[in-house]
Amino acid sequence: MLEGAELYFNVDHGYLEGLVRGCKASLLTQQDYINLVQCETLEDLKIHLQTTDYGNFLANQTNPLTVSKIDTEMRKRLCGEFEYFRNHSLEPLSTFLTYMTCSYMIDNVILLMNGALQKKSVKEILVKCHPLGRFTEMEAVNIAETPSDLFNAILVETPLAPFFQDCMSENALDELNIELLRNKLYKSYLETFYKFCKNHGDVTAEVMCPILEFEADRRAFIITLNSFGTELSKEDRETLYPAFGKLYPEGLRLLAQAEDFDQMKTIADHYEVYKPLFEAIGGNGGKTLEDVFYEREVQMNVLAFNRQFHYGVFYAYVKLKEQEMRNIVWIAECISQRHRTKINSYIPIL
Amino acid sequence: MGSMFRSEEVALVQLFLPTAAAYTCVSRLGELGLVEFRDLNASVSAFQRRFVVDVRRCEELEKTFTFLQEEVQRAGLVLPPPEGRLPAPPPRDLLRIQEETERLAQELRDVRGNQQALRVQLHQLQLHAAVLGQGHSPQLAATHTYGASERTPLLQAPGGPHQDLRVNFVAGAVEPHKAPALERLLWRACRGFLIASFRELERPLEHPVTGEPATWMTFLISYWGEQIGQKIRKITDCFHCHIFPFLEQEEARRAALQQQSQELQEVLGETERFLSQVLGRVQQLLPPAQVQVRKMKAVYLALNQCSMSTTHKCLIAETWCAARDLPALQEALRDSSMEEGVSAVAHRIPSRDMPPTLIRTNRFTASFQGIVDAYGVGRYQEVNPAPYTIVTFPFLFAVMFGDVGHGLLMFLFALAMVLAENRPAMKAAQNEIWQTFFGGRYLLLLMGLFSVYTGFIYNECFSRASSIFPSGWSVAAMANQSGWSDAFLAQHTMLTLDPNVTGVFLGPYPFGIDPIWSLAANHLSFLNSFKMKMSVILGVVHMAFGVVLGVFNHMHFGQRHRLLLETLPELTFLLGLFGYLVFLVIYKWLRVSATNAASAPSILIHFINMFLFSHSPTNRPLYPRQEVVQAMLVVLALAMVPVLLLGTPLHLLHRHRRRRRRPTGRKQEDKAGLLGLPDASVNCWGSDEEKAGGLEDEQEAEEPTVNVQVESFHRRTQPVHRHCSQETCLSSIPRRSLGPLAVGHRQPLTQFLSL
Repeated sequence: MLEGAELYFNVDHGYLEGLVRGCKASLLTQQDYINLVQCETLEDLKIHLQTTDYGNFLANQTNPLTVSKIDTEMRKRLCGEFEYFRNHSLEPLSTFLTYMTCSYMIDNVILLMNGALQKKSVKEILVKCHPLGRFTEMEAVNIAETPSDLFNAILVETPLAPFFQDCMSENALDELNIELLRNKLYKSYLETFYKFCKNHGDVTAEVMCPILEFEADRRAFIITLNSFGTELSKEDRETLYPAFGKLYPEGLRLLAQAEDFDQMKTIADHYEVYKPLFEAIGGNGGKTLEDVFYEREVQMNVLAFNRQFHYGVFYAYVKLKEQEMRNIVWIAECISQRHRTKINSYIPIL
Repeated sequence: MGSMFRSEEVALVQLFLPTAAAYTCVSRLGELGLVEFRDLNASVSAFQRRFVVDVRRCEELEKTFTFLQEEVQRAGLVLPPPEGRLPAPPPRDLLRIQEETERLAQELRDVRGNQQALRVQLHQLQLHAAVLGQGHSPQLAATHTYGASERTPLLQAPGGPHQDLRVNFVAGAVEPHKAPALERLLWRACRGFLIASFRELERPLEHPVTGEPATWMTFLISYWGEQIGQKIRKITDCFHCHIFPFLEQEEARRAALQQQSQELQEVLGETERFLSQVLGRVQQLLPPAQVQVRKMKAVYLALNQCSMSTTHKCLIAETWCAARDLPALQEALRDSSMEEGVSAVAHRIPSRDMPPTLIRTNRFTASFQGIVDAYGVGRYQEVNPAPYTIVTFPFLFAVMFGDVGHGLLMFLFALAMVLAENRPAMKAAQNEIWQTFFGGRYLLLLMGLFSVYTGFIYNECFSRASSIFPSGWSVAAMANQSGWSDAFLAQHTMLTLDPNVTGVFLGPYPFGIDPIWSLAANHLSFLNSFKMKMSVILGVVHMAFGVVLGVFNHMHFGQRHRLLLETLPELTFLLGLFGYLVFLVIYKWLRVSATNAASAPSILIHFINMFLFSHSPTNRPLYPRQEVVQAMLVVLALAMVPVLLLGTPLHLLHRHRRRRRRPTGRKQEDKAGLLGLPDASVNCWGSDEEKAGGLEDEQEAEEPTVNVQVESFHRRTQPVHRHCSQETCLSSIPRRSLGPLAVGHRQPLTQFLSL
């Protein structure tokens, strides 16, 4: 796209941008969280959520209310909003939105394959699938035995198809291979998405690239952390890192050689963005690496709303809403398990 | 009408409701609609309040009601509107209602479930029959025989491992939009080791849940080998296909299916009959119960706004109530608490919050009050401009719409609505546009009436002049005096009547515009000039009246300084400029006659020159020393602008400074003294809200200038004033707006009639 998106952005996407900003304004406030934390039972939680923009989305749920019911309903709501955006979007926003769903589709495919491996019924797994990543052929995933099978028979028509070029193999799908498949798919997906945003240029690139770079770096860190003490070789590990981001390329090479958390931390200290994050771990409230990454993500997504005329707001809104849902589920879990000491360790959305 | 002049006196009333009788009391008050509850628990969140359990029970019930309602609507039935007075039921009745509805809902759920199951079964059978009857067989039979003939030599190989190899079938139905994807997936996954044929069903089947007709794609897949078969079954599973056994002797099978489905249909008929019975009972029970439970919930929500007394024996509510209704309120409380053998007490307490504005309206005044409220609701006890609007609004409308015929039509239409207003069909009409008309029927009535009046003044009936009285102009006199010959008349289509010729102009027409003007070529320019001048006069009078109304406010609230600092400059500004214009118009009407019309001065030029402090030599002055007078007026008016903008804020600032100079120790007393009342509100017993309020006061004291100015601007936009200034904008600043509109109504019609 040419420079100067502000001139004609609103012609095609002005309505949706206005809508998404309105939706963002309906996110729960700090006061709402304070009230939610005070709830004694899930019913209280429901009553309080009714006073927010969630409205009476739980009104038709039969008793007793459970956390998973709340979660499902919230996901349904988000999915409804997203579908609305998607149905009203024009190119290239619609491609952008499709890219957004891809990550959920990958998760769903992997979830289904894992389920098939453990001989669970498809129906049981389907409930756990994220509705944003739903597609028709999804349930047939378990007939595939090798990744190329999977690609040829099932995924060739889905948006996931382009991401498969690196992971065609005839290996049987065991647990490790599925995990490798997931990470390779993710790597390929992130790289493609990054390229898309970069090529799009303009404010969208300025906003989305840092967010995706952070996402890539986060994956690199998490992959490293999870590979400690597994049979994954260092070379294999390196192939899983997305090939862009702040860490690319030196940081990734170093990460591939890291052997424990402390070495990872030393590597992160070279980067001014990640140094404070790693320093915050274990600080007040016993934060984990995941928590600090989430906090950073929320921060970046909130900042995305400060710029206008770009697609990043859609991405940011969905991510923020997801974080809010995680928060609500966390609070609801704490309430239902009467485990109130940790109830305050949700990630505040500023 | 007396109460229309300003909003009614409203008192803060504290109600002591004994716990036993609180419910009945609030319910009674709700029926009467006399009071507005104040929330005393604003800091308590919704789920921590006292009656939250009861509210939740009501909500539960409402959920059941919604379910029942949906079921009734799905069956295509209508719920009758509830009849009679239905007060909130006593709390113990809630259980009965709950039980009844629960039982009904359960029954309905069962029957509905049965019906659903039966329909699904029936659907399945129909689909099965359809799949069998789709005519896949001839084609498949062909391929079968074809395949067989191809393979005959192979199969006949003795002792071969493929002895038991035979073609298997999977038959089923799938939703049409999934069919292409299914077909492709099958082909890809099984690498072509199958033959699939898809066909659309000719006759759409009813969807078992929604009852909508839906078409299906039936398919028949033939394949070899168990491996492939498993795969196919998995794939068809994931597409949620209906799979049916496919057997050879299908004719017999189909007959059996027919019979089964007939039996099922009979059972289904029975179930549906029972279902309609249950729904009939729901129709009877639901509407009154819904109203009752809604009232009950409202009562509990009101009770949630009350605070508990220290002894836990009674609830304390604070309500706003019109002072006039206090006896009625007390009587209602006494009556309803008597039944429980206790007594609820209401007594008036002083308050420093501004009470809500209460203006009682009847069906006549309601629409006018509505117009005023659209501009802004006045503060407590402010002068209410609505009574004057009853005259001014229709009249200003009529100035624009003056036509006897059109006005009469409008009047008759409104009259019909007024006469029929008591018919229930009128009120029940759901059409939004109709409701707007019906709501403003008295407004329309007056607008029509005034239009007839101004129509007479403009002498127009359907844009035609009528001559009720003989015209004041005589054509005969003109013809005689100027000796128009036949030849002259034949040559000239336009003739001029000169009022200076004696006998031509006999005197003004007794009422309104002389009908002879409708023959004149300069008819429109004459009328336009007249209407514009009239509009200016009306507009200025209207605005001046609005400013004068403000005087009543200032007097009532004891703000004498505003008389001097606001009303006086406003009047000077208005009358000095626009009032002077009105004077010029009237002066010219009186002083300039037909004899000196040729050299008549132009008011417009004079008025423009007045602001420019210049004069044009061609324009004769209206009276001696005119320029001096005009210059003085302009200077005076401009001098008022800074007074208007800064007068009140500076005055308030000055007053505030003077008060602050006193020792701080006396400040609190002073404030209390100023307010002149001890705080008796429950809030002051230490609840958070009031503390917050107190803090605000303190802050206000700390930051004088900003707040004072903000306040004064706030006051500046208070409603009566706002009303007037809005009217100013509407009628005066673009001060010709009425004129063109009046002209606008006339012009197209005239042109239309002249065609």
